[in-house]
Amino acid sequence: MKELAGRLTAVDPDAGAAVRVIAYFDTLAEARAGLEALVRGAAVLAGCPARLVDAERRVRVRVEPDGRRQDSDLPPDPAWPSAAVVPGGAPALWLERAGGAEPSVVDAVILERAAGALRLVLDRTRGRAPVSPTDDPALVETVLDPTVTERDRLHAARRLCLDPDDPTALARAVAPLGGRPRILRVRGDARDAGAAGGAGLPDGRVGVGPAVPVLGLPGSWDGARTALRFTAEGSARDPGERVVRADDLGGIALLAELIVPGAEPPPDVRDLERAAADSPWMLATLHAVASTASLRSAATAVNVHHSTLQDRLIHAEALLGWPVRTPQGRLRLHLALTMRHLARG
Amino acid sequence: MAAVPARGEAHDHDPAPPFDPELAAALEALKDMVPRELSIEDIPLMRQGPGIEMLARLDLTMDGFFEVEDRLVPGPEGAPEISLLICRPAAPAKPGPLPVIYHVHGGGMVVGTNRVGVDEPLTWARELGAVVVSVEYRLAPEHPHPAPVEDVYTGLLWTAEHADEFGGDAGRIVIAGASAGGGLTAALALLARDRKGPRPLGQVLMCPMLDDRNDTPSVHQMAGLGVWDRTANETGWTALLGARRGGPEVSAYAAPARAEDLSGLPPAFLDVGSAETFRDEVVAYASRLWQAGGVAELHVWAGGFHGFDGLAPQAAVSRDCREAHVRWLRRLIGE
Repeated sequence: MKELAGRLTAVDPDAGAAVRVIAYFDTLAEARAGLEALVRGAAVLAGCPARLVDAERRVRVRVEPDGRRQDSDLPPDPAWPSAAVVPGGAPALWLERAGGAEPSVVDAVILERAAGALRLVLDRTRGRAPVSPTDDPALVETVLDPTVTERDRLHAARRLCLDPDDPTALARAVAPLGGRPRILRVRGDARDAGAAGGAGLPDGRVGVGPAVPVLGLPGSWDGARTALRFTAEGSARDPGERVVRADDLGGIALLAELIVPGAEPPPDVRDLERAAADSPWMLATLHAVASTASLRSAATAVNVHHSTLQDRLIHAEALLGWPVRTPQGRLRLHLALTMRHLARG
Repeated sequence: MAAVPARGEAHDHDPAPPFDPELAAALEALKDMVPRELSIEDIPLMRQGPGIEMLARLDLTMDGFFEVEDRLVPGPEGAPEISLLICRPAAPAKPGPLPVIYHVHGGGMVVGTNRVGVDEPLTWARELGAVVVSVEYRLAPEHPHPAPVEDVYTGLLWTAEHADEFGGDAGRIVIAGASAGGGLTAALALLARDRKGPRPLGQVLMCPMLDDRNDTPSVHQMAGLGVWDRTANETGWTALLGARRGGPEVSAYAAPARAEDLSGLPPAFLDVGSAETFRDEVVAYASRLWQAGGVAELHVWAGGFHGFDGLAPQAAVSRDCREAHVRWLRRLIGE
């Protein structure tokens, strides 16, 4: 018998075919068909290969018009008719129809209906989308949990492709704000993502623990969470570093034990808040003074003239009640800014 | 037989198994093209339906792989000649006589030609290097039983006797058919056994129409649903048997489910959808083949409606089904 596409066009090539396409995908969606069945529907109805590529969810399905699944690593041709699966998103579903002409009415209906049905399936199954074991949150949590037996932590580590038997194999725990714990492998040359640059780290505020052997990861996780408390948004209201490494804190880390998040902040922090309420530039300017090598560099960092910076600091010192331009004052300012981060609830 | 409910036990209200999602979608898109509740009055219209038009466009050579010949051969005693469609590989990969697939078309005993459904045996033959002979038989109700099965039998006799004329191996004839063609194929195996005619190498019974009584649980369950329901089935059997349908005097050569003795038959491949009228009669027939000491392989395709792999060949379950046919044939022919 002729393929379905042939039957559809043989019976009624135009409007009727579109109605049948709609019925086809509606029925598939009703029966909760999977991704492959939907992509196959597009390929069969269009009579050409169809493919779905969703890099973020690691979904890659390509089906030939005879129904055969045949994935391809080659990039889709931008000239092919395509549709986004998310409204306004990038193209994710393609009909591999060469020519580059405007898609036919039937192709357009196929793309629209298939994309809509695919979106429902992706939304429904996103949480269960296949993840590589190195991202498995349960394994990561096991390796970071000091209350889990060594044996279980070693087992989980192996499944995460961390080699506990190699004494040179080190790893770091990474604590993103509001995200799942991660583990970074430390490569032999020590130029790992946690030590240099931000490559491999999640966006936003992140604390990076020290590099340790696999069984030391619960300690690295403590360090990462402590480091996270020292991070800031990097905005005018919350100036500071988005990524803080436990290795870089040194004795400053001791402050974390003294300051209880959400409790009444120390007097210097209250002074800072009062000053911050006075001028929108206050915190960023003071952060620049505390974190750069000279007042000239600080002026450049906040993009003001040197004399403007001097005027601002005179005003700030009056509000704070203590100097910020002497070495002792600068240390006190640095500690106050740091304690302000730690005191956040 | 404990697992199979007794005849007539099921009620029309028993819920039917759901169709496979892809098959349901294809059925929904093509629902006005498939027979569901066929009556005698619908037969002339069905004989001129869109299906026939599409079949005319079927490339029987499969891109030049086959040489195609329509051959008229003598019919049964006192009956007209029979038309055999013979498709043989134009350039066989191996020397010597080739296996033969003797195909009996479907169409509820009332419609169809030797082109109907022949694309599937052609696909097997291309895969296996075989010749396809597809027989045209007289149709009911103009030609009731035994006209159809006698034509089919006579065509097999000619094929076995003249195999060398088209490069076929008379010792390796596999008989095959779907739906009514499957029922006629099962009947052909009985007839060839009882008349000591050619012994087929195997019989492929795809969703075969076996039982004129039309009252198994699946018959009732699928009434008004899918393809070829209880009403259509009654129409087909009544066309073939008239008032004898469902009565005590029906021959096993008309309705193989009626056969008392299923021993000594060629190895059988049977398959059927779980959501079709014929499900229970096919499962029962396979069980009885085993009980008679026979060789049979049975596949019940979950969510399949009648003839699903022909209507929606691209669906995953259809692809599995068609692969199963080829795999079985490969094992049978052993090449």
